[in-house]
Amino acid sequence: MKTKNYNTMNALLKPLALILLIVGAYEAFASSHREAPLIANDPLADNTDLYVFRSPDDTNTVTIIANYIPIQLPHGGPNYYGFGENIRYEIHIDNNVTTTGDDIVYRFTFTKTHQDPTTFFLVRLGQQNHKTTYTLEKSTDGGSTFSTVISNGTVPPQNVGPRSIEDATVGLNSTYSTLMANAITTAGSGEKVFCGSVDDPFFVDLAGVFDVGDLPRQNGISKDGLACLNVSTIAIQVPIGMLQKDSKDVSQATNILDGDFVIGVWASASRQQVRTLSSNTTPAYSGSWVQVSRIGMPLTNEVVIPIGQKDYWNSLTPYQELADTILDTYFYNPELALYMDSAYYAAAVPGFAPLRIQKNSLGQVPGFGFNFGNGNKGLWPLKGSAAVAGTALDDAIAGTLLLPDSTTPRSVDLWPIFHTGVPNLAPYQLATGKTGFNPLTSGKPFINNYLPNGGDMLRLNMAVPVTARTDINFSRMGLVQAAVLGLTDPTYTASGTAMQWIPNMDGFPNGRRLEDDVTAIELQAVGGIVLSAIGLWEDDYDTAASPVTAMLLATLSYSTGVTQNDTAFQASFPYVQMPWSGTGKCSGLEMSYTQPAILPPTWTVGITGLNTPKVFVSNYPNPFEDVTTLKYSVTESTRIVIEIYDLQGKLVTSLVDAKQQAGQYQVDWNSSEVEAGVYIAKVMQGDGEDLRNSQSLRIIKSN
Amino acid sequence: MKTILKFFKYHSIRIAATGLLVVAIGGGVFSSSHREAPLISNDPLADNTDLYAFRSPDDPNTITIIANFIPAEVPYGGPNYYSFGENIRYEIHIDNDISTTGDDIVYRFTFTKTNQDPTTFFNIRLGQENLMTTYTMEKSTDGGTTFTTVISNGTVPPPNIGPRSIEDATLGLGASNYDALITNAIGTATSGEKVYCGPADDPFFVDLGGIFDLGNSPRQNSGGKVRDGLAKFNTHSIAIQVNISSLQKDNKDVSQAVNILDGDFVIGVWASASRMATRTLNTSGGGYVESGPWVQVSRLGMPLTNEVLIPIGMKDKWNSMTPYQDLDSLAVFGNYFYNPELGLYMDDDQFGGAVPGFKALRIQRNSLQAYDFGNTKNGLFGLKGNPALVGTAFDPATFGDLLLPADASPRSIDIWPVFHTGVPNLPPYQLATGKTAGPLSAGKPFINNFLPNGGDMLRLNMAVTVTSRTDPSFSSLGLIQAALLGLTDPAYTASGTALQWIPNMDGFPNGRRLEDDVTRIELQAVGGVVLAAIGLWYDDYDAADTTASPVTNHLLNVLYYSTGVEENDITFKSSFPYVQSPWRGTDI
Repeated sequence: MKTKNYNTMNALLKPLALILLIVGAYEAFASSHREAPLIANDPLADNTDLYVFRSPDDTNTVTIIANYIPIQLPHGGPNYYGFGENIRYEIHIDNNVTTTGDDIVYRFTFTKTHQDPTTFFLVRLGQQNHKTTYTLEKSTDGGSTFSTVISNGTVPPQNVGPRSIEDATVGLNSTYSTLMANAITTAGSGEKVFCGSVDDPFFVDLAGVFDVGDLPRQNGISKDGLACLNVSTIAIQVPIGMLQKDSKDVSQATNILDGDFVIGVWASASRQQVRTLSSNTTPAYSGSWVQVSRIGMPLTNEVVIPIGQKDYWNSLTPYQELADTILDTYFYNPELALYMDSAYYAAAVPGFAPLRIQKNSLGQVPGFGFNFGNGNKGLWPLKGSAAVAGTALDDAIAGTLLLPDSTTPRSVDLWPIFHTGVPNLAPYQLATGKTGFNPLTSGKPFINNYLPNGGDMLRLNMAVPVTARTDINFSRMGLVQAAVLGLTDPTYTASGTAMQWIPNMDGFPNGRRLEDDVTAIELQAVGGIVLSAIGLWEDDYDTAASPVTAMLLATLSYSTGVTQNDTAFQASFPYVQMPWSGTGKCSGLEMSYTQPAILPPTWTVGITGLNTPKVFVSNYPNPFEDVTTLKYSVTESTRIVIEIYDLQGKLVTSLVDAKQQAGQYQVDWNSSEVEAGVYIAKVMQGDGEDLRNSQSLRIIKSN
Repeated sequence: MKTILKFFKYHSIRIAATGLLVVAIGGGVFSSSHREAPLISNDPLADNTDLYAFRSPDDPNTITIIANFIPAEVPYGGPNYYSFGENIRYEIHIDNDISTTGDDIVYRFTFTKTNQDPTTFFNIRLGQENLMTTYTMEKSTDGGTTFTTVISNGTVPPPNIGPRSIEDATLGLGASNYDALITNAIGTATSGEKVYCGPADDPFFVDLGGIFDLGNSPRQNSGGKVRDGLAKFNTHSIAIQVNISSLQKDNKDVSQAVNILDGDFVIGVWASASRMATRTLNTSGGGYVESGPWVQVSRLGMPLTNEVLIPIGMKDKWNSMTPYQDLDSLAVFGNYFYNPELGLYMDDDQFGGAVPGFKALRIQRNSLQAYDFGNTKNGLFGLKGNPALVGTAFDPATFGDLLLPADASPRSIDIWPVFHTGVPNLPPYQLATGKTAGPLSAGKPFINNFLPNGGDMLRLNMAVTVTSRTDPSFSSLGLIQAALLGLTDPAYTASGTALQWIPNMDGFPNGRRLEDDVTRIELQAVGGVVLAAIGLWYDDYDAADTTASPVTNHLLNVLYYSTGVEENDITFKSSFPYVQSPWRGTDI
C-alpha cells in the first residue's frame, strides 16, 4: 500500500506537471527596494537585489549581480541617478564554513567628475558631467587587506536620449549598446566586470502587496511596479575555480550536488560614520565605515523583518545573525503566515487564499500530524527521536539549529532556507522514493546548498548544471519547478532515489537567476510548499489517494499576477538589459502636440518661388477683426494674383488679378462676411497663364 | 545718441485685438527644482521641488503659499512610503519690507514619525499606522531669532496606499475616503493660518526627458508626441493660507491698497530645508544621531533657477545660500542670468542651430535696429549715462547699477531682475501700449513686484486682483498673457497708459499659480518676450517704418512656442489646499 501510493501518484501528477509548466510563467516585488525606513532615505546606498547564477553562456563561471539605488526614473534629469561617492559597495563571498567570515570580498568605490561644469546638461558637445569611474579592490583574507584589480573603470553615462548619446555634434557620437559593451572590463585578477545603469530586472506588484497583501489583486489588474524603471548594477563574472574554496574547477566536482561547491553571497553598502555638512563646501566624511544596507536572500528585509527591526537588520553582517536573538522569530513564525492561516488573518487577505499552511500534515499517519501554523510545534515532537537519527534534524549533525524550540514551526524550512541552506540529507530530499509516508526517509536528492554559517545569504551550489534559458523546461519557479518535475515526471520518478539532474535545480533558492519569480516562490514557501516537496503533504492528503491534493494544486498554481520582467534579458554578460532611455516610452505620460510652423521673419515673409520673386507681401494688422491691409512691392512688371483661401483650401475671394508695374501697392480685405479663423493669402506671379506660387501668407481673423 | 532717440521715436501701437492668440496660448514646462543639484538629488527628503504663492481664488483676502518637497514619489513606493523626514527643518520665508534685514516672517515645520505597530512590515494594518507622521509648526516674526509654536501635533495623512489600507474598516483605517483624511488634516494655527502638510499629486508638469536631452522640447521628429515626466507622481506639500494683512508689512488689509499695483503689498517668498551639520551613524544596531548647527541644504524661490540657469558646477553652492547672500555673490552667479546658458540655444550665432526644439525662440540681436541681447553683447548698456534714463528704473540715482551693471551683460535688464528684484511700475517695465517715445517712455502699467533685496524669490504683489479660474481669459501663460491683452485688446489699449486690471496680472512671475506654465514662460522670457512686451521688439520689426506692426512673425513664433506639456495631468481643487489628492498606489 505504501509503495502503491507513490506509484499511482506519478500518474496522477502528470496533468499537474502540464498545468505547472503553464502556470509557472507569472510575475513578483523589488526584493529590497525602500525596504527599511532609514535606507529608504539614502537611495544611493540602498541595495535592491542580488542575483547569483552559473552563467548560461559560460558555464565555467558564476555571475553575481548586485543592484543598488531603487526606482530610477529614466528621465530623472538634470542630475540623473548613479552610484554615489564616499560609499563602499561590496560583494561578499563565503565559500568555507570552517573559516571565519568572508573568504572573498569585492569592494567598489566610485568617483565623479564634471567635464564641463558650465552647463546644466548631463551631456553636451561630447562632454559628460557626473562622469563616473570606479576602483575595484579584492580581498581574499576576509577583508583585512585589499588589492586593486581595476583602476579607473568606466561607468557609462545615463541613457539620457539620442541627442545626448548618439548625436555626433551635440552628444557623444555613440550608441548606448556600444557604451555598455565598452564599459565591460576584465580585472587584473580575471573577473569580468560591469558597473552601470540598467533596466531593473525585478518585477513585483508593489502597490498590491503593500495594500495589506492584495496579491494578486482581487479587484483590479495586477501591475509590475518596477516596470520602466532603472537601477544601478554591479555585475561580475568569476571563474568557478576562483570561487571554490580549494580552487577546484567545476569538472572536479564529485557530483552535481557536491557540497564543496557551495558559496554564500551577500552584498552591502557602507558609509563613513560621520558626515559633516557646511555651507560652503561639499559634505565631509570621516570615521570608520558603517554598514547601512545589505542584501542576501530576496525580500528578507522587505516582508519578513517587521518595520521596527528593519534598520537593525540592515546594520548586521550575516555572521552576526547566529548570535542575534531578536530576528529568528520572524522566520520561525513569519508575519506572512498569519495571512495564510485561518486561525489568524487569512480571511482578511483573500489574495493569499490559495496558500494555506499545513496545520495537520500527515494526520492519517500514526504518530504524525504536524502543525506548522504560527506558534505551533511543527516537527518539534520528533526532536531526539530515533526517526531523526542520521537526518539533518539530528542534533548530532546540525546541532539545535533546525529544532530549537517547541513554538518555532518554521525552523525546519524557512529559517534554514534563509540562513544555512539545506544539505542533501533527509528530510531535505524529494518525497520521490521515500517510504512509509515518512519524510525522514531517504528520497530523491534535489538540493545541496548547505553552508551553515547562520547568516542571510544567497547560497548557490556551483556544481549544479545550468538550465538553458531556451530549454522548454526552463521555469521562473526555480527549485519549486525542479521539485514538481522530480515528484511527477517519470523521467525522474522512475529512478527513485537516484541523483539526477532536473531542470531548474540551478534556480532560486539555489542561487537566484534573473528570471526567477522569487516573490511567488517565497510566498509559496511560506505557504508550505517546501514541506510538501519533502513529503509533509497538505492537510487534505488522504494516504489512500494522490498527495497532489486540491490544496497542493492551489499552492502550486498561486501567482502574484506579475510573473516576469517587463523586458527581455541579454544573452551574454552582464545579462541585465540596457537602461530605459530618458526619452523613450518610459519617460512620462505621452500626449500629442502639434508644433506650430515656424514663421519666417516678417522682413522676408514666405518667399517660396523658385526664381527671384517679383512681389513681396505683408499684411497689417494681423490678426485683425474685419479689415486687413495687404501691402506689397512689385520689383518688375508682372501679373500679380492674390487670393484668399480658408484652411480647407476653399477659395474665399480673389483680391488682385492684374498685370502691375514695379512699385508699391496695397489692397484691403474686408472679411466681415467670413468666420474668425486662419486664412491663407496665396500670392502668385507670372506671365499670362504661367503663374507660379510666390508666397503663402498666414493671416488671422480674430473675433 | 541721436540714433537712440531716433529709434525710440514714437510708434503708435496699432495692434488689433487678437482673440486667436488668446486661444492659442494655452500652452506647457518642467519640474521646477526636482533633483536639480547633485547633492540634494541624493537627499530626496530635503529636496525642495516647487514653490507657489498666489492670492486664493476662493478667498481673495488671503494668500496661499505651497512649498513642495520630495520629488518623483511613486505612489506605490512601499513598504516604506515616502513622507517628510525627521530632523529636517522645512521652512517658508517671507520678506515684506525692503528696509528690514532678511526675513520678516518665517514658518518652520518639523516632523515626527511613530510606528503604532512595529511588529508588521505593512504601513497600515488593522487600523494601526506605521511611520505615522505629525508636525510642529513654529512662526517667527523677528527674522528667525525667536519662534512661537502655532501648531503642535498636526496631522499628516498616511500615504494613499490603496482601498484595503485606507477604507477597509477592519484591515485598514476605516476612512470614508482618502479626501476625508486630507480634510481632517487641515489645521488652523493659533496665529490664524490655515495649514495642510501631506502627500499630494505633484502639480508640476514638464517633459523632463525631452528638455534634458539637450533641449529637445518640444520633441522633434517624435511623431507629434511629448511626455509629461511628472504625470502620476506624488510629492509632499506644505500649504499655508495667510491673511493678506498678516503678510503686508504694515498689517494693512488689501482693501487699503492705493491701487492694484501698490508697491507696499509686494512680498518675496522662498522655501528651504536644513539639516544638522553632523550625522553620526551608530556603529552597531543601525540608526544615527544628528548634532551641530543647522545647515541649509536646499532652497527654492523662482522655479527652475537651479534646474536650468545655474550650471552643474555651482548648483550645490547655490542651494547652500540664502537669497540675502545672492547680491554678495553677484560676481559668481550674476552672469548665469546676464548671459544665460539657455540663451546660447536661442541664438543662431551660438548653438541655436543645434537645438531645433527652440527654433521658435530667437533672442533680439538687433532690436529696433540698435540693440543686441545675444549672450555677451551689450544689450542696453550703451544707454548708460544717457539723460533719457532719468526717472526710469534704469536711473542710477534711484536704483544704482543693478540693472545696467556692465557691458557684456545683456540680460541684466530682464532675466536678472525677474529673478532677483522684481520690477517696479516704471519705464521701461511698462507695456509698450501708450509709449510715445520708445521703451523708456511711460506705457501701460502691468506689473509691480519690486522688492529689490537682490535675492532669488517668488515675488507677489498681493494687491493685484485675482483672475477667476473659470474666467475665459484665465491663462497658464500668466503675465505674458496679461501683456498680450494689454498690447492688443482694445479693452486695454484704448485707454493708453491708464492703470487697468488685466486678466492674469496675478500670474507668474507675479507670484506663481498652480496652473502657470512656468517652463514655457521662462523659455519665452529667455527668448526675449519680456523685452518685446516693453517695446524692445524682435529683429524683424522695422523701427523706421511708422506703419509696421510690432507683432512680427518672430514675436508670433515666440508667443506660439510651447513645450507641448501645458497643464497638469489632473485638475486642481477649487479650495484649500488646491493641490490634488495624491495618486493612490493601487490606481496607477
